Amino acid sequence: MLAYAVRRIFSTIPVMLIVALFVFSLLYIAPGDPAAIIAGDQATPADVERIRASLGLDRPFVVRFGDWLWHIVHGDLGTSIFTNLPVTHMIAQRIEPTVSLMILTLILSLACAIPMGVVAAWKHGTWIDRLVMMTAVVGFSTPVFVVGYVLAYIFALWLDWLPVQGFTSISQGLWPFLRNLILPSVALGLIYMALIARITRATMLDVLSQDYVRTAKAKGVGQAGMLFRHALKNAAVPIVTIVGIGFASLIGGAVVTESVFAIPGLGRLTVDAILRRDYPVIQGVVLLFSFLYVLVNLVVDLLYTLFDPRIRY
Amino acid sequence: MDRRGFLKTAALTAAGALAAPRLSLAADAKTLRFVPQANLANLDPIWTTQYVVRNGSLLIWDMLLGVDDQLQPQPQMVEGHEVTADGKTWTFKLRPGLKFHDGEPVLAKDCVASINRWMVRDAPMGGPIKKRTDALEAVDDRIFRFRLNQPYPKMLFALGKSSTPALFIMPERIAATDPYKQITEYVGSGPMRFKRDEWVPGAKAVFERFDGYVPRDEKANWLSGGKRMHFDRIEWQIQPDGATAAAALQNGEVDWVETPLSDLIPLLRSNPNVAVDIADPLGNVGSFRINHLNPPFNDVRARRAIQIALSQEDYMTAVVGDDPELWKALPGYFTPDTPLYTEAGGEPLKGKRDYELAKKLLAEAGYKNEPIILLVATDVAITKAEGDVTADLLKRIGMNVQYQALDWGTVGQRRASKEPPDKGGWHIFHTWHAGADCVNPASYTALDCSGDTAWFGWPKSDLVQEKIAGWYAAPDLAAEKIAIAELNKAAMDFVVYVPTGFFKGYQAWRKNVSGVVKAPFPVFWDVTKA
Repeated sequence: MLAYAVRRIFSTIPVMLIVALFVFSLLYIAPGDPAAIIAGDQATPADVERIRASLGLDRPFVVRFGDWLWHIVHGDLGTSIFTNLPVTHMIAQRIEPTVSLMILTLILSLACAIPMGVVAAWKHGTWIDRLVMMTAVVGFSTPVFVVGYVLAYIFALWLDWLPVQGFTSISQGLWPFLRNLILPSVALGLIYMALIARITRATMLDVLSQDYVRTAKAKGVGQAGMLFRHALKNAAVPIVTIVGIGFASLIGGAVVTESVFAIPGLGRLTVDAILRRDYPVIQGVVLLFSFLYVLVNLVVDLLYTLFDPRIRY
Repeated sequence: MDRRGFLKTAALTAAGALAAPRLSLAADAKTLRFVPQANLANLDPIWTTQYVVRNGSLLIWDMLLGVDDQLQPQPQMVEGHEVTADGKTWTFKLRPGLKFHDGEPVLAKDCVASINRWMVRDAPMGGPIKKRTDALEAVDDRIFRFRLNQPYPKMLFALGKSSTPALFIMPERIAATDPYKQITEYVGSGPMRFKRDEWVPGAKAVFERFDGYVPRDEKANWLSGGKRMHFDRIEWQIQPDGATAAAALQNGEVDWVETPLSDLIPLLRSNPNVAVDIADPLGNVGSFRINHLNPPFNDVRARRAIQIALSQEDYMTAVVGDDPELWKALPGYFTPDTPLYTEAGGEPLKGKRDYELAKKLLAEAGYKNEPIILLVATDVAITKAEGDVTADLLKRIGMNVQYQALDWGTVGQRRASKEPPDKGGWHIFHTWHAGADCVNPASYTALDCSGDTAWFGWPKSDLVQEKIAGWYAAPDLAAEKIAIAELNKAAMDFVVYVPTGFFKGYQAWRKNVSGVVKAPFPVFWDVTKA
């Protein structure tokens, strides 16, 4: 399995190269001009031209791409056009809030969605099942920003239990850290929760109709043991798959969530960079997200072997 | 502990934590938490002309002169100045005891280097001064001198102007940076120093008090007088979402929001802990910017068709809503309620709007239903609102409008194109000009009619240029008023651009903060927090 993992990690290199070329080309042909934004509204066209030249944006595509790739190969993602800070530094500044948000969202979503899905399957056709499915539909159909504003209104402005915005590093204490992340995680996790709950329910329904479940029941296995030890483990592969696939939507949702709750994470960095045409930052962040996505899917593949011994790499 | 015990303890802990009264941070009187109008993505006030950068720079760097609320330049870093009778030699002397944040004294050579860098980038005033300067030299550590080949009466206004790029004094080694490249050190001599180690661009910028700053004895007045800081720290918290910023202000998580969403003003007003007032008394001038190079608008009759059909009320209502305190009609180019304001030549913008006459003028200009490219930055609320009104207006006067929804970054690029509309060019875009820049022609880039070197749209009118020169030569306020009236009329006749109205915005702050003033920039000195 180790050899497989190493092979998979190496296989990300061509993927990342293709992503790099795609992102660079896309930004090259996309309209917009960072020099005009830097120069500001009062600047003359001549000033804009001079700034563009000083940033090297007047160089041909091949030269710029080659230069950028050369630096990437040497571990240098470049320097932000606007802040003059290394992109790696800007990513390092922003990674903790985003990773924290994603992990907490993941934990909350799994902790709620899997029991919900299991219980809905177990109580199939009852009001509990309908309640779970209704919650899932609401979760699916409510945009993240709406949930965010509603939560902020209730828990921050009205009840005054939690802050509206911001992020506190875990190094400053667990509760201050959690206090800032609870609302964003719930807002972001709702869609994810709905997705996982539905898949869990559907898969569990399938598994619960299998012969071995009936046999287990006949042998006197307890309800909880039957559901969680026997059925859920066999239903785990599709659930883990959807958790991996859902990671992409988590990244997309983080962009909105971080804006609504003013969390200084990678999502906001991406949006700011796109609006300003800060090409090195956009390229760096997209590469990072692509790498993370590939990595998450690798972890998902490896997890299959944990839940299903028949799978071998 | 058994399972039940664990659950009970956990539930009690969680309930206790959630029930804790008022989790909002207790106000720290020595720290001001401020939400600026935009992201502070860099801090070089010469390299970029963005207002948010200028506003941050006002804390870090000091200025030779600073404008007061009467728009008059007053001595700030300089102790005084002398000018020879022929107006060609200007000598300035620095105040004693000025220090940079690195402990080095501020010297005349720093001023010379800073002025040199500024003159390259400040086209309206720095450029003309540079052309007239035979020598700019440090006479000794505290004295520097301009020797001009022809007089420049507006020298004090130029050195103390607040419009971007303003003249900030930097150490010589930093000011020696190419004006088209960004500086890498943020060392100034202003009342606050920049905490670079805490800077998270797009999220937070922190300034801490500079103990070595020596304020002037006079009372602070905008950018002049004693800049006394009552905070150890000023934290700029960048809030990309206006609703979140307003909620944070209501919840006491921030102290002052520079530009709250106008839709949320009633909500903020209803909060007993929040104060709301006009932010900038000089407001903004909305702009219907026309490309003078492309038909039909290369014909003045087509531009006049817009002028007589355009309803400023429609534009202003779209931009700021129904609040009558926030806007007024502007049949002229200059900022209302300032000494040079005039309505001379502004008749076409007054009275009933005449669509039929507009159609007639368009026909006379040879317009035959060609597509009119309207660039609209839909990610900026003001330009989006203006663009929507314009699309409607153009249709009403029989024009074939092509509404191109873009973001501001793209409009910034597209508007620089002098190509014909079918090759990536344009006819119209919208923006607005800070009222502080529109008080006279010196910082009014949008009124320049020098053709190729003019601002986007490239208007060319020798008469307008002659009238601008007339203002520069005016010896006193009475003469300036006459010159501006003539300029306004010439510019209106030529339709350099069409003003869409004059509008203001609000600012909001917690009521435990006092000393917030109305100004074209946030003024932090003399602000206190209980």
